[in-house]
Amino acid sequence: MRLIKQQVERDGSGTVTLYPEEPEDMWHAYNLIRVGDTLRASAVRRIVSESSTGSTSSSRVHMNLTIIVDKVDFDSQAGQLHINGRISEENKYVKIGAHHTLDLELNRNFTVGKAEWDSVSLDVVREACDPAEKAEIGAVVLHEGLANICLITEHMTVLRQRIDVSIPRKRAGSITAFEKSMEKFYETIYQSILRHLPISNLKVILLASPGFLAESLQKYIFAEAVKTDNKTVMSAKPKFVTVHCSTGHVHALNEVLKSPAVIARLADTKYAKETKAMESFFKMMQTDEDRAWYGPKEVERAIEKGAVATLLVSNSLFRSNNMQERRRYVRMVEEVKASGAGEVMVLSSIHESGVRLDGLGGVAAILLFPLQDLDESDEEQDAADEGNEDENL
Amino acid sequence: MSRHKIIRTMNLADELDDFDGEEDYYEEEEGMSSSDKARMADGLRRVREVIGNDIPSLTDEKIEETLWYYYFDVERSITYLLNQVGATEKKKQKKAVAPEQKVREYHTTPPHTFHKRIPFGFWDDTPFGGVPVSRRGELIPPPPPLSGIRISGLLGGMQPGKTSKLAALAKARNKAKAEKAADASAAGTTGTAVSLLDRLSKKKPSPPVVMEEAPAAVVSAVLNISKLEQLVEAATPDPSKNEPVQNKPSVPGPEPDTLLKAAPSGFAKSMFGKRIDEIVEFREEFTDAHFMYFSIAPTQKAAIKAKQAFEVPSPDDVVIAAQSQSKGIAKVSKGEKSATSVTASIQKGVEALKVGDSPEKPLLAKTPKNKIDVVAEYEKSKSKRKENANLVVIGHVDAGKSTLMGRLLYDSGVVDERTIQKYKQEAEKIGKSSFALAWVLDQTGEERARGVTIDIAVNAFETERGRFTILDAPGHRDFIPNMIAGAAQADFAVLVIDSSPGEFEAGFNVRGQTKEHALLVRSMGVQRIIVAVNKLDLMHWDQERFDEIKQQMSQFLATAGFQTKNVSFVPCSGLTGDNIVRKPANDLMAWYSGPTLVEELETAKPVIKAVEKPLRMTIADVYRGGVINPVTISGRIEVGNIQIGDTIVAIPGDEKATVKGIEVDNQAAEWAVAGNNVQLHLAGIEMEYLKIGDVICQADKPLVPLKDFEAKILAFESLTPMMVDIHRGRLNASGRITKLIATLDKGNGSVAKKKPRHIGPGSLAVVNIAVTGAPLPLEKGSKIVLRADGLTVAAGVVE
Repeated sequence: MRLIKQQVERDGSGTVTLYPEEPEDMWHAYNLIRVGDTLRASAVRRIVSESSTGSTSSSRVHMNLTIIVDKVDFDSQAGQLHINGRISEENKYVKIGAHHTLDLELNRNFTVGKAEWDSVSLDVVREACDPAEKAEIGAVVLHEGLANICLITEHMTVLRQRIDVSIPRKRAGSITAFEKSMEKFYETIYQSILRHLPISNLKVILLASPGFLAESLQKYIFAEAVKTDNKTVMSAKPKFVTVHCSTGHVHALNEVLKSPAVIARLADTKYAKETKAMESFFKMMQTDEDRAWYGPKEVERAIEKGAVATLLVSNSLFRSNNMQERRRYVRMVEEVKASGAGEVMVLSSIHESGVRLDGLGGVAAILLFPLQDLDESDEEQDAADEGNEDENL
Repeated sequence: MSRHKIIRTMNLADELDDFDGEEDYYEEEEGMSSSDKARMADGLRRVREVIGNDIPSLTDEKIEETLWYYYFDVERSITYLLNQVGATEKKKQKKAVAPEQKVREYHTTPPHTFHKRIPFGFWDDTPFGGVPVSRRGELIPPPPPLSGIRISGLLGGMQPGKTSKLAALAKARNKAKAEKAADASAAGTTGTAVSLLDRLSKKKPSPPVVMEEAPAAVVSAVLNISKLEQLVEAATPDPSKNEPVQNKPSVPGPEPDTLLKAAPSGFAKSMFGKRIDEIVEFREEFTDAHFMYFSIAPTQKAAIKAKQAFEVPSPDDVVIAAQSQSKGIAKVSKGEKSATSVTASIQKGVEALKVGDSPEKPLLAKTPKNKIDVVAEYEKSKSKRKENANLVVIGHVDAGKSTLMGRLLYDSGVVDERTIQKYKQEAEKIGKSSFALAWVLDQTGEERARGVTIDIAVNAFETERGRFTILDAPGHRDFIPNMIAGAAQADFAVLVIDSSPGEFEAGFNVRGQTKEHALLVRSMGVQRIIVAVNKLDLMHWDQERFDEIKQQMSQFLATAGFQTKNVSFVPCSGLTGDNIVRKPANDLMAWYSGPTLVEELETAKPVIKAVEKPLRMTIADVYRGGVINPVTISGRIEVGNIQIGDTIVAIPGDEKATVKGIEVDNQAAEWAVAGNNVQLHLAGIEMEYLKIGDVICQADKPLVPLKDFEAKILAFESLTPMMVDIHRGRLNASGRITKLIATLDKGNGSVAKKKPRHIGPGSLAVVNIAVTGAPLPLEKGSKIVLRADGLTVAAGVVE
């Protein structure tokens, strides 16, 4: 994403014009655009004109429309963002108040206007426009009969394909059925890797499984590449890395990304850091439970006491439509930053680490020193919190 | 020939059996492959080098047979052959011609004078219309070979139409075999090798037994002809049977080899005309008329077919009659009825054609609504049959689980000598000779190459006092999901412990599987556990070691929730086989006087299951059961009962299917109850709709799959809201603990703390779990296991 123009007034209101270049930028836009914001982008609208005789003719007209956002809808599979709203600036074709759904397109400017640009929003803009080299990796996690083919980018984990087949078990006397369907299973995985992963652009392709499946798959892939003379795969041979994990479900990516083989290659990437942070949180939970707290109420109290060393926040919280709610989390982030002692990590809610954090209510903290009983006497408050959390998930 | 005629002349039973035969032909890979042939040639040459050509009784066939038996082990073959030669030489001096005589007596056939006078093919076109009663001959089928067959299980145990590549070899071998057997019995001294052969013939329907097949083939051929005769009779109330007495040449001669070709002549069909009653008995075993195919010379067969084409009601008529009978629409006349029942029995396997009913139970098929009261039937049969018990074999990786079970199967006669020899050689070749026994259970290439069990292997064996199904679980921690699948089907567990130095400790520490497995089987409801202290041969049968392990394990198992009376310890060695099936040699374990492993197994009783509740069965496997049964599922019925004709549904999903066949422990049955290991042949459903891990229910009492549920769990690790794998038997799904609702007091189950922040290891708690994907087939009381990051984090029950 490129920042074209930024006009933010002292009171925080203003507009930012951005130029999206790749599908991931849609994700940033999704995190930036809130209900109530104004959005100006190019659109195609069908205009029906009625002649004096009553006959109608329709034509498609390109124009720039400005809408007040009602609903934001993100399709992570396709990398598309649909924004629903009411038109706020009249032109010769459309009236104010007419509904329109803008589909943001790559390589076309859009302008977001907010009444209040808080630090988190500006951080999103900054991060989105960070030209640092992007490290994308492909990952296949599998166990017998189940394979998930994922594409992991800096900010997103996209499940490109899920393969779920029934594999006959070995039976006394007959293993042919088993071996045949395993072969077919590998074949399916190989084909969908070719189809769904941009092999030449990826930094590394992880094959992860319990047992020996990943190795067998790797062998199969290379054998097949040689057989079909697939140069792309053959030249990418060093990119394929096999990793051990305990299951073939998507959440095994947590395990995969923290394995030493992966960390060695991807230490500097954002998601590797996020995974590591979550891991240290859970470790702390087990070893020194008074230094690891989760849940908004508890973390808020810890912040009050200036005890937070690392604050982990899922960006799903900032997508809250409830302004009050959003301000609350923004304040938490700002306070920790202001204190100087703490570090803030905003985790992407569609990475596996973010999903884990969302499971804890979206916010967690590792403390500098142990604190006890942060969770006392908040029964009623919790009930309210839970209601909000559910909305966010 | 017009199409109509083709259909008319087609012998349905024949066609189907041919096809079936082919199917098995490909599945069973027991024939001589080209590599086998090469090895055979090589072996033969090497044996010849040693023995030389001077012993006339040692034919090439004989040597080849021996080589085959010993799986090309040249040295053993030579020893055996030399012993053999020694024995025959001795006996030859005593009485030389005896064996030949014996064979002839066996069939009690008068000399074949008529053979010489009547040229071949003389009878082919004779209608045999008017032979007077006085001249009619009666022949009695030779009974001894038949009973022999029953014992050997050759026909009963053999797949229908199994015409392995060995047929050719077998034929050649027959001769030598007959001689040899005769020799041995004449000599009166059966050498060890011969007794080995006997053993083999008892164990497995493999080539060496073909000696008995020859007469059998003739008998069954005759049977088939007589069946045709019956058809003829049924269709046209025939004038009289008319056979000349001179038909005896068709009876087996002394040369089994020619027997296979010497077809029963056309008139043989009438020879047993009065013996139909007896034949009906055999039919149950020989309905698969495939032997006819081999035993009847082509010309003869064609003649019969042609005859049948005109005299028998056409297959169409037969099918129509059968259908109408099964529907109960048309009243069938007496003549038609008999025709129908005959065809029905011929085409017993032709369910696909909806003939529907085998002669034993026409009622059920006729009125599918007329259900069997399975519970009552079960109560009735309870005392009669041996209860089957499932046992899961668990333990740390490389504790020797598979080897122990391989030994158990070998010593109890389920696996034959030749297979073991083969495995031994193959294992030696890749430098893993001690794995040979484990290969009985570890069959996939990966498992053998790595020397690790990956998936559970299911095998059955029987002792005098009980029937057991072994579920050999993998020990490696990556494959615990598979082990859970096995444990979920088990009545009791055998925990195998490696007693060698350091190994017990390795399995018993925190990351070892000894503890994890024991906890898992306990939390899945297994109460009885037998601890097999394995590899004691490496410890020189040291009592101290045994006692040390016993003491530590007893303590641990008590904390895991096993009652002391349900835990027993057996010292043994899987590799040597001591104290498994046979008692150990006297001097080895003077200090141990307890039971062997098998004796200990026999004391374990299967768990009583709820038979009358609605059906629940987790699918353990979905596969193609053959041509007739394109969709077959297997599993263990957890609760309830099922019978043929039931409509079932696989949850989640709402595709319905009909049960058209049930096999309990590989035996066809009409119903099955909780606790049975069954294979269900289904109709009206595609394989895609059935997934391993789905739960089979009666269509009218389905289970409601859950997307979000509460569970009472026992935590093994620290729990927070987190992603977990949910396991239940074969079911392996992903889910998330969304809420920690409360921790409970272990003593009285009351709430100790509401909304805990996390749940510590060892505590009892109630949590809420959301399923990530499609809803899961769980209900109140389902036992689940939760795993995360390769560890079992909790086990519990759905609330």
